[in-house]
Amino acid sequence: MKLGVFMSDFKTGSDVLNRLSAEKLGIILVGNGIYHATVKDTGKASSILDKSANFYVLAEDLESRGFNSSNVDSRVKVVTYGDVVDLMFNDYEKVIWI
Amino acid sequence: MATRRLAFVIRSLPYKTEASRLALTHAIASQTVEIYLEDGDLVEPVVCFIGDGVMNCLKNQQAMKNYGLTSIEQHMKNSLLLDLKVLICKEDLDKFGIKEDALIMDAEDIGGETKAQIVPYSEIQKEMEAVDHLQFF
Repeated sequence: MKLGVFMSDFKTGSDVLNRLSAEKLGIILVGNGIYHATVKDTGKASSILDKSANFYVLAEDLESRGFNSSNVDSRVKVVTYGDVVDLMFNDYEKVIWI
Repeated sequence: MATRRLAFVIRSLPYKTEASRLALTHAIASQTVEIYLEDGDLVEPVVCFIGDGVMNCLKNQQAMKNYGLTSIEQHMKNSLLLDLKVLICKEDLDKFGIKEDALIMDAEDIGGETKAQIVPYSEIQKEMEAVDHLQFF
């Protein structure tokens, strides 16, 4: 299956994410999930970025928290609300929120 | 004459919940409660950011543009404008690799004179021990 996963937390949800597998996996970082794309805890990027997946982060949630695209890990693509709608309709058959 | 000291310790990330906003608005509101006190009595709040809560202190928050909400940045500046003591945990900033120039350290643009302080956790611990009322958000 082609699975899109919205992730909106920083410290919870990684355990669930680690168990998910899909032929095509997209992880869309929104809300407080954006810290996975921007923050290096004790110098290390978030471990979820090591997963084999396409990563996206919502620009509006980045900006609201004082970040911009220059702060984002190179594995993550910055997207707008409009892009997220396109991803949901065009790229992923199923979408979940954790 | 008595001074009641209150500590508002913020450990939550901004925006997903209202926790950090509530802490700041309560701390600000504590200044107005003095009208209900006896002459000479005072309330002295201190706001401390620890753990993930240090993310509230990042500059350039565009919450009004994107969410239609007053940013936590604005609440922090209002706190400094009212001369509240604002402490940010140094160890947690170091852990996340956040430098001082990325932080809201003053409210000069709205006429504030007080600055936020980056301090070791041990100083925040001392504040927590010294206050009469301790609240975590």
